[in-house]
Amino acid sequence: MNMRRRLLTGAALITAGALLAGCSANSATTPSEPAANPTGELTFWSAIPGMDLVTEAFNESQDDITVTFEEIPNGPNGGYAKLATAIESGTGPDVAGFEYGQLPQFVGSGSVIALDDLVPAETLDEYSDQVRGLVTFEDATYGMPYDAPPLVTYYRQDVLDAAGVDVPETWDEFEAAARAVRAANPSAYLASYNQNEPAVLAALAWQAGGQWYGIDGDSWKIGIDDKASTKVAEYWQRLIDEDLVKVQPSFSDEWTADLGSGVTNGVIGASWSAAGLKARTEASGQAGKWVAAAPPTWGDDASAFYGGTSFAITKNSENPAAAAKFLEFVTTDPVAIEARGEVGSAYLAYPGLNEIAAGVFPTDYFANDIYAAFDESYDRVVDGWAWGPNWDITNTSLKDSMSTVGAGGTVPDGLTSAQQATVEGLEQLGLTVTE
Amino acid sequence: MTIRHSDRPPTAAAAARRRIPGTGGRTAAIFLVPFFSLFVVAMIAPVVYAIGLSLFAQKRSGLGFGGAETVFVGLENYLNVLSSETFVGGFGRLFLYCLMYIPIMLGLALVFALLLDAIVTKAKRAFQLFLFLPHAVPGVIAALIWAYLYTPGISPIVSTLAAGGIQIDFLSVHMVLPSIVNIAVWEWTGYNVIILFTALQAVPRDILEAARVDGASELRSALSIKTPLILPALSVTLLFTVIGTLQMFTEPQILSKATTAVTSTWVPNMWAYDAAFNRNNLPQAAAASIILALLAGLLSWAVTRLSSKGRTR
Repeated sequence: MNMRRRLLTGAALITAGALLAGCSANSATTPSEPAANPTGELTFWSAIPGMDLVTEAFNESQDDITVTFEEIPNGPNGGYAKLATAIESGTGPDVAGFEYGQLPQFVGSGSVIALDDLVPAETLDEYSDQVRGLVTFEDATYGMPYDAPPLVTYYRQDVLDAAGVDVPETWDEFEAAARAVRAANPSAYLASYNQNEPAVLAALAWQAGGQWYGIDGDSWKIGIDDKASTKVAEYWQRLIDEDLVKVQPSFSDEWTADLGSGVTNGVIGASWSAAGLKARTEASGQAGKWVAAAPPTWGDDASAFYGGTSFAITKNSENPAAAAKFLEFVTTDPVAIEARGEVGSAYLAYPGLNEIAAGVFPTDYFANDIYAAFDESYDRVVDGWAWGPNWDITNTSLKDSMSTVGAGGTVPDGLTSAQQATVEGLEQLGLTVTE
Repeated sequence: MTIRHSDRPPTAAAAARRRIPGTGGRTAAIFLVPFFSLFVVAMIAPVVYAIGLSLFAQKRSGLGFGGAETVFVGLENYLNVLSSETFVGGFGRLFLYCLMYIPIMLGLALVFALLLDAIVTKAKRAFQLFLFLPHAVPGVIAALIWAYLYTPGISPIVSTLAAGGIQIDFLSVHMVLPSIVNIAVWEWTGYNVIILFTALQAVPRDILEAARVDGASELRSALSIKTPLILPALSVTLLFTVIGTLQMFTEPQILSKATTAVTSTWVPNMWAYDAAFNRNNLPQAAAASIILALLAGLLSWAVTRLSSKGRTR
């Protein structure tokens, strides 16, 4: 039984792999011409909380299109695996959410279709160039940006006060503040270094002027260990070496416990982190103690996006025109933002929606105007960042190489091995890569 | 044993059947067909498919936005998998794991089985049940429970130890392997106790009586008579355990959510999972699975050889 049970598990894995691959022969359906008043039924998959309410609001707002919502796990829990396999096997949804880092991979595999003939150009033109750039590949638009979440740092104001420091505006001040918090209370840290979250490292590198993926003629230029990124890595390594930040995985039970008990008193996050932070600290009576701020800078008033989702139409959709109507509703209609309710603190990409979002989210949990901080950080976002053809190769490799940070490994070494793994992995896919 | 048709009341159907020679083969077929058809569908076909899959690769060109084409690459995927540091590193981890896990788990199982065999109380059944209970907990649940018990800040064990002056992080890079060994020992010892205890029941009582008459203590007869007599059972459990270790997935996969010390490619099975579902490289995942299956097959062959030897002895 012992062996059998485990052997069967192995066999099941092989079977699953084979079944998934077996379906990949299906060809893409060609999008039909957009109708003036499309009708029909659609399916919609997303991992973003509250999207069920948005779907309901859409169904109530009109009679032509009926959308069925299905919640899927988020990326780290297999959401993209589910999407990729479903789309390959022809059973994928009409509309799904893709984070900006993941979108190129789905564009490259032909899983999502171009929107330029489906969504009015004047709607797409409303987006800022920076956001638009994240969903545009070879002059075609593949996603409707939902949120454009800038890097935002959160601090316990009372802990900063006790340490006698202000909200840090530069990374030097951040280091000094971290030192002051440690001195004021030896069991407390200003923030933690989240080695499980390569996306935040990417955002910090972006802020410092790094360029992990670039297009150089007909090849990808990979620069994960470029000069700016290495500077960021060395900065954090110094903070770790001097025990100024606590090395711990974010979104873990340990992290939540430390936030609640006052061991970790700051978060390097994004606009969306506000909702999670509230959920994790509310039970510990920390209402009114947190402030949000634009991230510390290297002296040049720069910021970056951290995360963010766009919605796209998959190649499985038999009704792209109706799907495009729904896309527009979700990403640009004030009713959709209103309907999502207080579950999220999104900073939306489409202009004119953030006032509504700020009105829906209980921002009074925080001691300052968090949307003002979001605005400030958003305005500073550095132009020109692009995501590469397969973020997951880099993501897996960074997670692996960072796992020993704090126990012998270093952040700069992690970048170097992620660089090698990414170049190797992309070459194995047949892509042209330069370093 | 096959029932002979002549033993049955002579019905028309039976009479008709009697005309066909070699009914034994036909009866055997009736019994074997369901098994083999399922075996082919659920085991052989996927393996064959995976082998086929592992010989191809999705190749894109340039920037990769022009779509992918599937090309035959021969053994390239196998070479890529075997030259992957993380994949080979996973086997290193499994080896270390075996070094810790097997002596502890089988040692404990043997001791418990001998103790169970030695006691003559009515509590025997109760003890059997208690020992087996952890195995009745599904592996995923067990891993979740232990992940909770290991996590600093929320674990009562960690905080109790800290209050007693012992600072220990069960989920740190160096401790996480022993922590997983602990979960596995908790989960599998009871199961192996049952196997070894069953083998002990088959030890001829007259030999034990003879030993007692010769003045051997319980301890002496346990070590010098019972243990050597159940060696075949012990060696089978040993090999089952080694094969089971190759398939390790659940415990580290669950713990990887609680600590970054367990990476997404920590053991070979996780490597295959990550290749298929995170890196979207099904051919490489297939190649890794085939390599694992080959190793497991080799070990299964060894198990069959050893256990049939044990029976004929």
